[in-house]
Amino acid sequence: VGFIGAGQLAFALARGFTAAGVLAAHKITASSPDTDLPTVSGLRKMGVNFTVSNKDTVKSSDVLFLAVKPPIIPFILEEVGPDIEARHIVVSCAAGVTISSIEKKLSTFCPTPKVIRCMTNTPVIVREGATVYATGTHADVEDGKLLEQLMASVGFCTEVEEDLIDAVTGLSGSGPAYAFTALDALADGGVKMGLPRRLAVRLGAQALLGAAKMLLESEQHPGQLKDNVCSPGGATIHALHFLESGGFRSLLINAVEASCIRTRELQHLADQEEISPAAIKKTLLDKVKLESPSLSVASASKVSLFTNKSKKN
Amino acid sequence: GSGGVVAAAMEASELWVGFVGAGRMAGGLVRGLLQAGKVPASNILASAPSDKNLDAWRELGCRTTHCNLEVVHRSTLVFLATKPHILPGVLEEIRPAVGSHHIVVSLVAGVTIQTLQRLLPPWTKVLRIMPNLPCVVQAGAMVFSRGSNAGDEEAALLKSLLSSCGLCEEVPESYIDIHTGLSGSGVAYVYLFAEALAEGAVKMGMPGALASRIAAQTLLGAAKMLLETGEHPAKLRGDVCTPGGTTIYALHQLEKGALRATVMDAVEAATNRACDMAKD
Repeated sequence: VGFIGAGQLAFALARGFTAAGVLAAHKITASSPDTDLPTVSGLRKMGVNFTVSNKDTVKSSDVLFLAVKPPIIPFILEEVGPDIEARHIVVSCAAGVTISSIEKKLSTFCPTPKVIRCMTNTPVIVREGATVYATGTHADVEDGKLLEQLMASVGFCTEVEEDLIDAVTGLSGSGPAYAFTALDALADGGVKMGLPRRLAVRLGAQALLGAAKMLLESEQHPGQLKDNVCSPGGATIHALHFLESGGFRSLLINAVEASCIRTRELQHLADQEEISPAAIKKTLLDKVKLESPSLSVASASKVSLFTNKSKKN
Repeated sequence: GSGGVVAAAMEASELWVGFVGAGRMAGGLVRGLLQAGKVPASNILASAPSDKNLDAWRELGCRTTHCNLEVVHRSTLVFLATKPHILPGVLEEIRPAVGSHHIVVSLVAGVTIQTLQRLLPPWTKVLRIMPNLPCVVQAGAMVFSRGSNAGDEEAALLKSLLSSCGLCEEVPESYIDIHTGLSGSGVAYVYLFAEALAEGAVKMGMPGALASRIAAQTLLGAAKMLLETGEHPAKLRGDVCTPGGTTIYALHQLEKGALRATVMDAVEAATNRACDMAKD
């Protein structure tokens, strides 16, 4: 397994796979031009093969994860495209990047690229990830199943139609951030009422973990489980009333919607070639340019994405 | 003692039922009773100060009077249905005629069993009931509590008579104010909701009369499904929400408006008001 990119996602997946025992660390390669990332040393410590050469990663992989930020994807595809063979399973984890855009790019190098699009989330690091995937034109059922096996070792994994992936991004992709925010606030509540911070955080997290586990293991509707906690006139129902007054539910709906819409927006921008260079970390872009002299980027104006045209500086 | 008399009187067709006060709530209850055929109209006697309300009762076949004492003398089961501020005076008036064979059931909002028992002879079997308006169409929701001398037989009699009007449950007295907030006043919340639904439809181009009928039928149907399936409302809600469909879009609007909290506030406000009024 190879990872293009050695940031949070690569680290989380590598950690998850090795902890699950589905993959030995030495069978994982990760690459990034930026060796200063904190995750790089983490990967090294794990025993993962780290390199600055994306091409090396491609060569030593059967399953190749594209674990870079969405605006970087086109540069990566341009760079490693020539090394992609029919045997490779290219798995893109980039939010908003469509299978067809990847296939289009790769097909200039390889007639039948196997592409799978995947949306996972950071709790893969503790093997409680939530992953969905959609298979591309040339990816077989077995290819999908292989990915599913890998991702199932680090949490829940299921196949979906590609058009649902943006919604999944909004829900479980961004979801952990909503949870962290909630936990921070819950802990604040605990501290306000007198608990030491560490204990408050620990208890808050355990409460959410336990509730989630109950829901996953229960046949019952979350509404029913909520009722089961609310004794008449008791503390919980009083608290829930506050949540309802604050529009708690609608805030969460809004959040999922906003994340999903933004994902689509970014994808749309990418297709329209309207991402500004500012959206891309400059050091990374410079390093990528160093690796791919064939690709030049218009620094003052728009970046050309998903085309093979070279714009002069 | 009086047990045999009461037992005989328990035969519903032999039961003599009286109403002190003949206003809207009493009218609802009696219509429910009559619809269910539990008690013949001729066995029902109602009293009120004026004929204003009594005309309707006569039309139903009930007997009427202006004398509260007559109601007590001629009935075994006596419903007290006066306005709260009138009740103390009425109780003082009928007290001499109240015997151990009577079953006194108060519909009077805000008057506690303790108060009733204080103003009536110590042996009186007292129950307190809080109905709601749809008793008229046999779809009411009623809760009742028993006083110190009311036993299982009296509770069973009341429940059997009134179950024909809808849901009738015995509860601790502390639930009665809550029932007011939930269901007594609750029907008004539903009317408000129905009106708003229809208005939404009118805004979108549907004629008002049709919109109103559909709104009412929607509420009726949804409630019926809730009652008949026994499923949790959240589950039934989820069943209607197809992914990305119309319903979830609409529900999002309702959540944005904090409808749930507002409804909770309403029930709380009405309940608290009922408690406050009871203290007056």
